[in-house]
Amino acid sequence: VRRLLRFVLLVALAVWAWRLLFGRTDAQERAGVSYADGSSLVLEAGMPEFARFAAIARTALRP
Amino acid sequence: MDVAQALADLAELSSQIGPAVILDAEGTLLGSTAEADRADELARAAQDLLAAAGELHSGPDEVTRVEVELAEGALFVLREGGRTIAATTGPRPTAGLVAYDLRTCLQGADEPPRQKRRAGGRKPKDEDVRTT
Repeated sequence: VRRLLRFVLLVALAVWAWRLLFGRTDAQERAGVSYADGSSLVLEAGMPEFARFAAIARTALRP
Repeated sequence: MDVAQALADLAELSSQIGPAVILDAEGTLLGSTAEADRADELARAAQDLLAAAGELHSGPDEVTRVEVELAEGALFVLREGGRTIAATTGPRPTAGLVAYDLRTCLQGADEPPRQKRRAGGRKPKDEDVRTT
């Protein structure tokens, strides 16, 4: 039972560490644009257009 | 309401919104809640974002809203009636609420100043409120 508990604890720690290090916020990063004609588009992280938008935004978000 | 008052109201009402600027149609800074350097950076970023968004469509004049959400925070840019408002927030803002507050601020800044009530609380006569 002790071994099992230790194993479960190790697995939980590994999952937590993985999510902390690699499950970061890229999925939350996005850009949205709306136009006067009612159309809109969403740019997700990984798209070249998003990289440009993100670079511009970061100039205004500097602490 | 003038621009400064509208921005002051925005800063007071919205806890999510950080520095904000309002620009006219030519990109001239009309008002800001930030220091001069920061306001210039924010204004430049807003115009660059509008230009970048315009390139993806028919032109920057057609862009009504741009929002960029990053891990470190978000930048919102809204255009209405030839004016532009831009503001930053912290991470994970409530986008709809922020956009609503910014649009309300922009519309408030467009409103003509309210007439001061006269002492004595007299009801306004027709000729007082008539517009031409």
